[in-house]
Amino acid sequence: MREKETTLYLGPQHPGITGNIMVKLKVAGDTVVKAETHVGYLHRAFEKLMEQRTWIQCFPIVCRICVPEPDPNEENLARAIEEIEVREVPERAKYIRVMVLELARLATYGLWMGGQSGSMGLYTMPQWTVGDRDYIIDLFEELTGGRIYHMYIWAGGVRRDLPEGFTDRVLKVLDYLESRLPDYDNLLFNNAMFRKRAEGVGIIPKDKALEWGVVGPPLRGCGIKHDVRIDEPYEIYDKLDFEIPTAEGCDVWSRALVRRQEYEQSISIIRQVIDKMPGGDYYNKIPNPLTWKVPPGEAYVKTESARGEFGYYAVSDGSDKPRRIHVRGPAYVHGVSLLEKILVGANVADVSFIMNSLGTCPPEIER
Amino acid sequence: MNRKECTENTCTEQIQKIFHTAEVEVQREKRVKVKLRADLILPFLAYAKDYMNFKHLAHFSCVDWIEDNEFELVFMLWSYEANLMIMVKTRIDRSNPEFETLSHLWPQAETYEREMHEMFGVNFEGNNRLGEFILEDWEGIPPFRRDFNTIKYSQENFYQRPGREDAQNVRETVSKHSGKEVPDFAKEYSIRRIEE
Repeated sequence: MREKETTLYLGPQHPGITGNIMVKLKVAGDTVVKAETHVGYLHRAFEKLMEQRTWIQCFPIVCRICVPEPDPNEENLARAIEEIEVREVPERAKYIRVMVLELARLATYGLWMGGQSGSMGLYTMPQWTVGDRDYIIDLFEELTGGRIYHMYIWAGGVRRDLPEGFTDRVLKVLDYLESRLPDYDNLLFNNAMFRKRAEGVGIIPKDKALEWGVVGPPLRGCGIKHDVRIDEPYEIYDKLDFEIPTAEGCDVWSRALVRRQEYEQSISIIRQVIDKMPGGDYYNKIPNPLTWKVPPGEAYVKTESARGEFGYYAVSDGSDKPRRIHVRGPAYVHGVSLLEKILVGANVADVSFIMNSLGTCPPEIER
Repeated sequence: MNRKECTENTCTEQIQKIFHTAEVEVQREKRVKVKLRADLILPFLAYAKDYMNFKHLAHFSCVDWIEDNEFELVFMLWSYEANLMIMVKTRIDRSNPEFETLSHLWPQAETYEREMHEMFGVNFEGNNRLGEFILEDWEGIPPFRRDFNTIKYSQENFYQRPGREDAQNVRETVSKHSGKEVPDFAKEYSIRRIEE
């Protein structure tokens, strides 16, 4: 007998730790037959707003595009402006930027571990990882003044130099985070329940992955070794020694393994950065920001965020305001066209589980 | 194409050999800019995808050049093998923006097209999911066009709390309350902005 189809609305109140998004599901029994992503609950028209703000005023706006990981936005916009303007960035600023970006990656992975395990009912993990993420956020607070939105990286460098003894405190936090990894492993990554839940779920066809625009850990979870940090090294990533972990399964489990190994890589990257950190200037001063005009031009820059390629397309017409800034977040592809495809055939209980594994982040879908 | 040979220059040559009308320029390392007529875009993208290994549609954007009465569509293609990006640009008529869908080449293009249809009013022939995407019950001109007046829209649709009226000169107001003078450079600047 054919089962009756029912329509289910998952969301818009945070289906998993993702943000406000709604997935309209057609289900037969508990199997998804059709999925449709509905967004619009977080639309703030940042791109339009930025067209009416001066370049410097854009920095407090862009970081709000992605809540769990604002730093790639700032870094991208800064680098786009620097590319159009041909502005030199001091070496020290590049090191500090990489340190901030990698700390942000650790914080995001902490939140992801919580979300991933929370969406299958393992609620100890969010308590731990969100707690541990707070130590990183404390560092950000000391460095930038902001806990979540930092507005720290801007055109020409970073806003202020490292406080005294800051790197020692970063190293202490890194040691602590590393010491926590065995606990994370015992509870989540070596957990038979998680493995059983995640293996074979949310499969992205490997031969389609590139064509469908999959990026970041989901792409590397398909065994395809691509990372912006290697493909098009920005800042000082070409001077650092790190590996790009991959896994073969194309499923939620492989994506989890990739992220787990990247967590260690990020810790090692930050240690190298601190080790090699040069002295000198941290900021190549921009002109008076109130009258600052960026010459006509355009640039597309990209960063490897914790969820994949984060791109910014900035166009300047020579005035004091941007002509257009268009943001390409990884979730723009992952959360809409990809999610709709791979949810078909999934179990209803796995929907938010899969969403988390793709790193869906609605604020960057609608900006 | 031999993947080791695909550099900025060989890529430029190959494009010019096939598409004579294309204006190709190397923007910087790993960036090649291609300007094409709108009717050649689809053949070009299909060619780049299948024969030059530009498999990844990294970005698809629209810029409103209202002074030329044109929209500029921008496609960013990335080749994972050559580690190279080509930025393909074309211009279409702004008063009757029509284009063909790319979703048969890249399924994710559908999402970009839906947004562009909603925000700029570009019609993508062949995309059957155009319609409401981010906005709800939107009437009037698409909001991301340059001639859409955001201030007027918000003044007509939202109200201010008493004492927090919009369009007041922030610097003057602050200086009135704090008793401090506005610095000269800021004064000029705020006057200029208001006149604009």
